[in-house]
Formats: sequence, C-alpha cells, structure tokens
Amino acid sequence: MNGQSSNIYNDPKAQWFAYIVLFGVLALIPTFGTEPFQLRVFSSYAVYAMLAVSASMVWGFGGILSLGQGIPYGLAAYCMGATMQMQFQTPDDPIPSFMLTNELNELPSVWQPFWNTSVGLILALGVPTVVMVVFGFLMFQARLAGAFIAIMTLAMLNAFYSMAQDLQPFTAGFNGISPPNAFKAFGVEVDPYSSMLYWINLGVLALVTLGSKYMLQSKFGTLVRATRDDAERVRFLGYSVAYYQIVVFVFAGLIATLAGILWVMTQQYVSPTAFETPFSIYMVIWAAVGGRHSLFGAIVAAIVLNYLQTELADISDMWQKAWLLILGGIFIAVVLLLPRGLAGMFEYLMGFIKIGGRNSSSTRVSEN
Amino acid sequence: MGVLLELKDLTKAYDTYAVVDHLNLTINEGELRCLIGPNGAGKTTTMDLITGRQKLTGGKVIFDGREINGLKEHQIVRRGIGRKFQVPAVFRDLSVRENLEVAFNRTPNPFSNMLMFFNRTDKKRFDEIVELSGLGDRLDHKAGFLSHGETQWLEIGMVLTQNPRLLLMDEPTAGMTEQETLKTSEIFKRLKGAHTLVVVEHDMTFVREIAETISVLHLGKLLAEGPMHQVENDPKVREVYLGAEGISDAA
Ligand SMILES: Nc1ncnc2c1ncn2[C@@H]1O[C@H](COP(=O)(O)OP(=O)(O)OP(=O)(O)O)[C@@H](O)[C@H]1O
Ligand SMILES: [Mg+2]
Repeated sequence: MNGQSSNIYNDPKAQWFAYIVLFGVLALIPTFGTEPFQLRVFSSYAVYAMLAVSASMVWGFGGILSLGQGIPYGLAAYCMGATMQMQFQTPDDPIPSFMLTNELNELPSVWQPFWNTSVGLILALGVPTVVMVVFGFLMFQARLAGAFIAIMTLAMLNAFYSMAQDLQPFTAGFNGISPPNAFKAFGVEVDPYSSMLYWINLGVLALVTLGSKYMLQSKFGTLVRATRDDAERVRFLGYSVAYYQIVVFVFAGLIATLAGILWVMTQQYVSPTAFETPFSIYMVIWAAVGGRHSLFGAIVAAIVLNYLQTELADISDMWQKAWLLILGGIFIAVVLLLPRGLAGMFEYLMGFIKIGGRNSSSTRVSEN
Repeated sequence: MGVLLELKDLTKAYDTYAVVDHLNLTINEGELRCLIGPNGAGKTTTMDLITGRQKLTGGKVIFDGREINGLKEHQIVRRGIGRKFQVPAVFRDLSVRENLEVAFNRTPNPFSNMLMFFNRTDKKRFDEIVELSGLGDRLDHKAGFLSHGETQWLEIGMVLTQNPRLLLMDEPTAGMTEQETLKTSEIFKRLKGAHTLVVVEHDMTFVREIAETISVLHLGKLLAEGPMHQVENDPKVREVYLGAEGISDAA
C-alpha cells in the first residue's frame, strides 16, 4: 500500500454514481407495496441517516468531536412541534391542552409566533442556526479541540435537556408535545404514513448528502479535511481556522435541524428524548461504523443499525434492553478491527478490481 | 534594497528567565540569512514571535515598515510571511497535490472556496513548484506515505506556493541524508535572490553551501553576525560551539 489511488473507490465519478444508485434504490421502496406502518419506519430511518451525515460532516471530515448534534435537532423539533400544535388550535380554543393542565390560562408569548406556519418554519430553521453560530463562535475562537469540544457540547446538550424537562408549562415536560394532526402546508396535509412523506424525507436526505459531497470536493472541503489533520498548519497558510470550523459546525447543525423538522412531521411527537445524551452519541457511532470519512457509509450504517434495533425489539423485550450492549459491541469491534468503518472495508475490497484502460495517475485521492 | 524585517529589542521571558533577550535583527529585502546557534538558543522561539505563534513580552516586530506584533497568525501570514516548521507539518491524510492546493491561498473566505475546484488553480506556478521540490511523481500519494526528506520538500513547496515576501525556514534539512541535504541546498540556491529567506540550521556544511550573512544566537542574545569566514573565526562563537574546535565540526 503506497497511498496512491488507482482504486475505483476514489474515483469522484464513480462516487457520484454510487450515490445516485443508492437514492434511486431507496426511492423505489414505496412502490413495493410496503405497508403504511412500515413506510413510516423507513421515513424515520431517512431522518436518522441525515443525522449520521451531520455527524460525519462535523466529526468525520471536520475532526470536531461534537456530541451535541442533538441540540440543533431538538431545537428544530420543538419549534416544529409548536408549529404543528398551533395548526390544531383555533382562536376559540387557543391554548394547547397540556398548558391548561399546567394552569396556564393564556398562550405564552414565546408560543405566539407559531400561530403562523411560515413564521414557525422560519424559527425552526433559524433558532438552531443562531444557537450553533453563537456556540461555535465561542468554542472555536477559544481554539477548543478534541475532548474539550466533546465535553462542551455534551454539557450544552444536557442544559437543553433539563430545560425541555423543567419548563413544563411551555414544553409539556417529560411527556412532550404530540400535535394531534399531520402537518399542513399550502393546503396539503402530509400524512406521516404516506409515500409522500417518505419521498420528502428521502429527497431532503439526498439533497443534504449531495450538497455535502459537493462541498467536500470543493477547495472548502479540502481545507476542512486539512484542518482535521493539522489546524496549526492551516493557520500558517493564512486561513482563519476558527472561521472554517464555525462554518462546518453550523452546516452540520443545519442538516440536524432539517432532520429535527422532518422527525416531527414523521412522528407527530417531540419530547426531551431529542436532547438525550445517548441519542447524540448514536449519531457519532453510526458515522463511525459506516466509516468516518464516508457519507455513504454513514447513511448505510444508520439505516442498517436502526433496522437491526427495530427487528430485535420486535423479538422480545429482553433483546430491546440488550440493544445498547450490542451497539456498544459493534462500535468497539469496528474501532478495533475496521478503524475506517464499513466504507474502509469496501475500499479495501474494491482495491482488488482492476480498472481497465485507466491511467491510474490521473485519478486522485478523494474521500467519499 | 530596503529593510523587510526588523526585530527591535525582541524579548520573550518565562517568569524572569529570558529565552529571547533584547534581540535586534534586520533582514533586507532579497537576502538569505542563516540563523544558527546551539540547542535552546531561542531560534524557534524567535520565529514563533515573528509569526505570532507566541506572544512576546517585550520589543517590536516590524515587517515592511509596520508593526505586526499583536496580529493573529493567519493575518501575519497574509501580510506575506511564510513558515516551515522544525517538525515538518504537512497534511498527512491529504494527497501531495491537495497539500499544495491548500497552500495556494487565493482567497481565505470559506464561502468563496466552496465554489473553487482544483483545476482552477494557477497551473504555471503549481508546475514550477512541483518541479522545484521534485515531487512530480508523488502528486497522487498521500503525504503520510512520503519519506522524511520528501515531507520536508513538500512543506518547503507549500510555503513557496504561498509566495510570501519573507520565508522562515526552521531546520529544512533536519533528518535528511547527505544526498537529500545536497538536493535541498540546490533548491535554496535557486530561491536565493528571488525571495527573502531566514534559515535556521544546525548542519554547517549546508550553511556554508548557501549562506551569505550568518547571525549567531546564544541564550537568546545575538552573539555574532557577518559572513561565514568572519563568524567561524570569532572566538566567542568558537567558545559556545564545542569549546575551541569551532563550528566547522558541530553539526
Ligand atoms: N514553555 C516554556 N517554558 C519555559 N521555557 C521554555 C518554554 N518553551 C521553550 N522554553 C525554552 O526556551 C529555550 C529556547 O527554545 P527554542 O526552541 O527557541 O530553541 P532553538 O534555538 O530552536 O533550539 P533547537 O536548536 O533545539 O531547535 C529553550 O531553552 C527551551 O527550554
Ligand atoms: Mg528549534
């Protein structure tokens, strides 16, 4: 092994082709007569896959070990939950029932903007983004790195978790918000059990993945990977490392934000579990199992691992409880045996395939 | 030719112990200055102070007529100071080509760089640097797979790609074989005149090969300055370098 790339795995054209095939195949799922219930499960997998892409961008490529991807995800989910809840309320019945049980007899002012669906959506996109910009600025200006990032993001995540739990009159606390009706926009109701929602989720997944892929192949992407390798060197080439890190952090946050919005459309439910520590750690595990330098791998790992989890939970309660152990085992096995994840193994296997007639020196090393 | 870099009473102290002690140094445009001195003399620290990697405790760094101490590292780089580190720093996970691409800083703005792709870089300049560093057949290798000498040349190539007005080279031949050192001195001879360079070196054969003016640093102070023959016969210099044997045998 000399690090030279004559492997088709590293061919950018082949990579784009692989993504088209992946999304093409996934798009066909509803045409196989999949049951509505099952379809909704697949719709949630698309959301998990987005979160894996988010973790892969920020940690796999950016080298920023964020355990707080649940922050933008959860914030967006709560904003979306509020928007959908207010779609159900009417001027005659303006106060959600959980507020009444918490003895609020007036709609709190933070809830007022959600009367308007467009404003609600803007907040769902804007609030998490602003939080990530501010948080990212504070961390990266101070040149935090490695474990310190992990600790900071985890602490922040837990702060949001506590807030969601404790501000019961506004968030419904532990129970969470369950908007009674499906999301409506432009007069169309997006039924969570429909192929339409599945295609929306898959479409957004494809969009964020291909958008990320595009960015990674631009000079920006090379710089992001360079920062992961040696931030000091990047700085001494005249770039502001903090600026680049903030941009990746916010961009990955935006992907998680979209995932949060779509999650609530899919499940009609949001609770403090969105801010739970294990969930944000899962995202990193999905990215790691898939191969931290591969968006494709992250997507596949998120889908496969969640499918496994669902299947095991169906067998018995015991298997469900054992899931954390199993996932931990898979994670350790991957770290020890396949440090570059499933994608790394795939790359190794593809190395045996000769590319006929191709001048190998014309291809270049390019992460997937 | 004008003055490009001026250090005035440059001082870096830890508690009361000065690592760089009221150092005065003037580098003219277009010259190649060698900075030598025993281990711990403060050579790397001086470069850290010039490039903003460490905060100075006293004095001034004046580059191109303007004070630059207080600026952030990347801002100083953009004023036109490039640096090669003592421990070679390249992006080991990136290909040689990508390393050079990153070094080619057309715009520091992340959003503009999202629209920038490899083929649009300045081809002519790129080819020149590839030729100079002799890495032509290594372009698609990951930098982590390069030999030690090749890594040094890559980093030199990266600094040159930046096209800085002043190049600071911290021990460019460290860890190189004799053959590689020879090739490196060829590179430096070609850079002479076209660039302003400050080179820190221990390898006296190399210094003899390339040097015009030599500044000797000892305990953070300037001990001697002048052409090779003058410096090597200076009794103070002979004393700090292995007693009376002189610098000729110290490497
Ligand atoms: N954080 C620190 N605290 C105290 N002393 C320090 C610190 N960092 C460096 N020094 C001291 O500063 C002195 C100068 O170090 P510097 O790296 O500049 O030397 P150098 O001339 O580059 O040596 P070499 O030839 O070994 O690279 C050394 O004596 C070192 O021990
Ligand atoms: Mg040194």
